[in-house]
Amino acid sequence: MRIVVCIKQVPDTTQVQIDPVTNTLVREGIPFIVNPYDSHALEAALQLKDECGVKVVAISMGPPNAQATLRKALALGADEAILLSDRVFGGADTLATSNVLSRAIRLLHKEEEVGMVFCGKQTIDGDTAQVGPGIATRLGYTQLTLVDRIEGLDTEARRIRVRRKLEGRHEIVESHLPAMVTVVRELNQPRYPTVPLRLASVEAEVKVWDNEVLKLDPQTIGLKGSPTWVSKIFSPQREKGELIGDGLADPAEAARLLVEKLIGKELLAL
Amino acid sequence: MKLLLVGEFREGKVLDSTYELVGFAEASAAESVLFMVGSEGQLPAYAGSLYLAEASHCSEYNPDLHKKLIIEAAGKENVDAVVFVHSSYGWDLAPRVAAALKAGQVSEVVALADGGYEVGCCNAKMRRKVQPSTAKKVITIQAGAFPVAKQEGAPKVTKLTAAADDGFEFAGYEPADEKGVDLAKAEIIVSAGRGVGRKDNIPIIAALARAFGGELGASRPVVDAEWVSHDHQVGTTGQTVSPKLYVACGISGAIQHLAGMKKSDFIVAINKDKDAPIGEIADVLVVADVLQFVPALTARLAG
Repeated sequence: MRIVVCIKQVPDTTQVQIDPVTNTLVREGIPFIVNPYDSHALEAALQLKDECGVKVVAISMGPPNAQATLRKALALGADEAILLSDRVFGGADTLATSNVLSRAIRLLHKEEEVGMVFCGKQTIDGDTAQVGPGIATRLGYTQLTLVDRIEGLDTEARRIRVRRKLEGRHEIVESHLPAMVTVVRELNQPRYPTVPLRLASVEAEVKVWDNEVLKLDPQTIGLKGSPTWVSKIFSPQREKGELIGDGLADPAEAARLLVEKLIGKELLAL
Repeated sequence: MKLLLVGEFREGKVLDSTYELVGFAEASAAESVLFMVGSEGQLPAYAGSLYLAEASHCSEYNPDLHKKLIIEAAGKENVDAVVFVHSSYGWDLAPRVAAALKAGQVSEVVALADGGYEVGCCNAKMRRKVQPSTAKKVITIQAGAFPVAKQEGAPKVTKLTAAADDGFEFAGYEPADEKGVDLAKAEIIVSAGRGVGRKDNIPIIAALARAFGGELGASRPVVDAEWVSHDHQVGTTGQTVSPKLYVACGISGAIQHLAGMKKSDFIVAINKDKDAPIGEIADVLVVADVLQFVPALTARLAG
């Protein structure tokens, strides 16, 4: 049985800057990283590989330079890596993206059984959390989102039991395979690559599948297959606030000023 | 425009977020009907049509079954959009419903924008204006982004039933790891950052939180150093909060932290450094030593 892990290369949004003049993202010089949640998804799959001997296939849709991201997955222990890359895939929203990923997973399943698909709970650039569930729906897999613990996998009976992280509590659910699992950070601590694996990954093959391989209807992929349009991207504006107590020696006086301000804003009733 | 609002019911109760959905419908000036897997004994205060499936039969959570029921209700009412709260429930269900309806989905809407929707992206640092071109739409709204509608009236109930899918088994709830603090519900949060200095000083901040009648929050370095437990953490790796009042004590304002609290209605930052990044989003920046100012403020509130 194989586990497919979907990985996205994203700009490191912690380093994203906003151009004060155009009020848009400054993309130059922003490093690309593996979407952090996807690292946890990969780690979860690799742990199951260690425990149950499943194989791990990392896939990613992206431009040719996303091969570097997949090479990292190989260095961590993935058995195979496939980049889904074609100009016609570009400009895709979540629907078109899940269409491409689903087709690739179907093709992989034809080669050898895919028991599970692991994704991060969301990406840190788009923040939509739609692609994983989109894959589950297309493939007819059971969907298990927000998983923070894998309680058990029975590869014989084809069943999985997981704990989902909800608001202020957890939910335990059990399901048959195949299943699509999206994971949260608390699930695990991603490993570091070992030296031999890292060296091997330099030479290892990252396969590239374009639409000649996937054979998807061009109307259902890329920009054309994307029903949602982003008309504008901007930074929410907020006026710089007021200073209290600058140069004031007496903290009690500053406290008085702040309390008055909060009462004035009806945030405090005294 | 007609909306199907998917209300939430958990452990025997209608969740308050249900009324934020009604608030969203009002803000959109749209007609609405409500759907809920709930209980006839615990009806929401909503003066409209309610499609109700019994949680005792359908389980409080069963994704495939709930999806089927929602699609049935959406079909009966021929709605233009299905709207969820961006909670773990909406998070999980909305994309399934979108795929089944071939609807474009917009996640975590924070505001309406002439015909489109505003959503956060890049860790909420930026916003995008998004417009789905499909006939049907699926929307999730950010908790706290829309006003809570008045809770009045009794719904006209239409009952729905569906057979459970045996492949998925709900095996029960487990409490959060520690005594969980649901910061998302807090109206006032007082958070401690690295500037507090050391673990022994945390009670000073906790005392201020109590004086405000609020909850204690913390930035990631403080949680990583184990001064405060993880359930208090605000930020992209902790909880995203939007209280009425957020008081940041000794927090310089790392982006991950800002992303988790910048939607607060009113932000007070207490920091020695008046150029700290938190000052960029604070409504009031108190330039002072946290350890001197916070006890003075606590005393002022108490007296």
